[in-house]
Amino acid sequence: MTDSEENAPVGSPFAAGEVGVVTPRDFVCPRPFTFKSGQVLPGFTLRYETYGELSATRDNAILICHALSGDHHCAGVHSADDRKPGWWNNLIGPGKAVDTRRFFVVCANVLGGCVGSSGPSSLNPETGQAYGISFPFVTMLDMVRAQKLLLDHLGVTTLHGVIGGSMGGMQAMLFAIEFPGYTRRVLAMATTARESAQAIAFNEVGRQAIMQDPDWNQGNYGKGAGPRVGLAIARMMAHITYVSDASMDRKFGRRKKTTANGESYTFDVQFEVEGYLRHQGQAFINRFDANSYLYITRALDQFDLAHAYGSLESAFAPVQAESLIVGFTSDWLFPPEQNRQIALAMLRAGKRASYAELATDLGHDSFLLESEELYALIRAFLERSHIVAVDFSI
Amino acid sequence: MTKIVEKRTVDMQIIGEWVAPRSRVLDLGCGRGALLDYLVQSKDVAAVGVDLDFARVTACVARGLSVYQGDMTGFMRQFPDRHFDRVICSRTVQELGDPAGVILEALRVGRTLTVGFVNHGFWKNRVDALVRGRKVRNDVYTTDWFESRPANPVTIADFEHFCAAKEITITRRAHLRGNWHSPCRTLPNLFAGYALYDLAK
Repeated sequence: MTDSEENAPVGSPFAAGEVGVVTPRDFVCPRPFTFKSGQVLPGFTLRYETYGELSATRDNAILICHALSGDHHCAGVHSADDRKPGWWNNLIGPGKAVDTRRFFVVCANVLGGCVGSSGPSSLNPETGQAYGISFPFVTMLDMVRAQKLLLDHLGVTTLHGVIGGSMGGMQAMLFAIEFPGYTRRVLAMATTARESAQAIAFNEVGRQAIMQDPDWNQGNYGKGAGPRVGLAIARMMAHITYVSDASMDRKFGRRKKTTANGESYTFDVQFEVEGYLRHQGQAFINRFDANSYLYITRALDQFDLAHAYGSLESAFAPVQAESLIVGFTSDWLFPPEQNRQIALAMLRAGKRASYAELATDLGHDSFLLESEELYALIRAFLERSHIVAVDFSI
Repeated sequence: MTKIVEKRTVDMQIIGEWVAPRSRVLDLGCGRGALLDYLVQSKDVAAVGVDLDFARVTACVARGLSVYQGDMTGFMRQFPDRHFDRVICSRTVQELGDPAGVILEALRVGRTLTVGFVNHGFWKNRVDALVRGRKVRNDVYTTDWFESRPANPVTIADFEHFCAAKEITITRRAHLRGNWHSPCRTLPNLFAGYALYDLAK
């Protein structure tokens, strides 16, 4: 332990056990990339971060896959006075469940995203304008293939594991399906093998809020402009699907904002939960591109492993990885049953797969929970030495 | 203490002999995975466990076992007939809500079902009930009634009657004396402390 670490206050991002200051980097792939749709980009960029060191044998990498509104910044801080660490900072760091003293952790903003990776807000070199909705349609498979090119670029020969929650879980499963000899462990949480009608329905309401906003303008809008009202509403609604009745009631109850005249027969913000959602919406429009939201939710809608590979069992047939699927009791967006079905199909296909279910009342976002039980499970899964899978399919 | 540890390993010794190498084994109520881990190490089986408890599931994951947290009947319904070579139900049967349902479902998904249970017909248990007039307490069932899980005590006579009634074939049996070690050849319902069966249908 160095002096500076010793003197750092407990809980600060500079305390021992923290990743500390990180700098995002860009991987620029100069070769043409053909999307599943058949559309081609002359090249693409992925913005990414890494924590820890790649081992001499280049096989200690763990890929973190982010969810719909996430990005590549999953741990550490961007400067000494940055007060907001990455979105999975509680999980990733020296001595944490995903231990950066052992593992080389990689996280990239997905293709189609808007936080530095190529997406609809990127400039089309042919026109000098943002692509808008002329950007190729992105699927989960395209996101995964682009991240594989990044890992190849980084010199990773074997993935120790790939971890993701929600949409990240879908990518984690696809990694094991598409790159079976490459992927040793899959940890997918709060996810599904098939976007359900309810989940598609919520995505559609979000898209309609964006597309019905006149400022959307068929996807043509300048930097900093666009359908701010529509995107904020989409985010407000989506946010409700990430939490739960119990957790919202605990956090806000029926508490009211203090207003000048006390009782108010108006449609201004009255309840704290309203103010909170409006804040969520406003914060989102300053960091997220509306067209990216359309693209990524569409990619989610189209995700259906059984349809893509004939059946869930045939989807998982090539998998060599050991898998751990985790469901959360209060998740009503990707409920436990949908997570269970993934593990069961893997087992029917003769694969090594486990299903664990954590009792929480925080809803879909439970996978981001600070939980010693969850950490212990993840650590148990990642730190055991790999045993070559033997297929006993009949 | 040593006595209890020995009793815990009795399943490992006997089931370990019964299990075919490299077969596919399902353990219902696998706990922390000690039995499955032993079978993986000694017989190279493809193991899957089912348990209800998150901490026990974590322990199985740490051993590298495939494990499913949830209801055992719901789990088995998701598998085709004869998917497993052997299903094991060791010291679980007396706590099942629907023992017949679980056993019949296990005989559908498994070619063989191994059931192990403490024989409540063992003479000491009978004396306990008759003389003391109290809930049976012994090395295995150490707790008073008010801190025990609901149990459905089963005897060797009960179990064999059930198998006959359901036309389940007993392909192998092991009756062990009160020390859970030496074989019991006479009047097992009275003199055997522990019983293991291999069943088929």
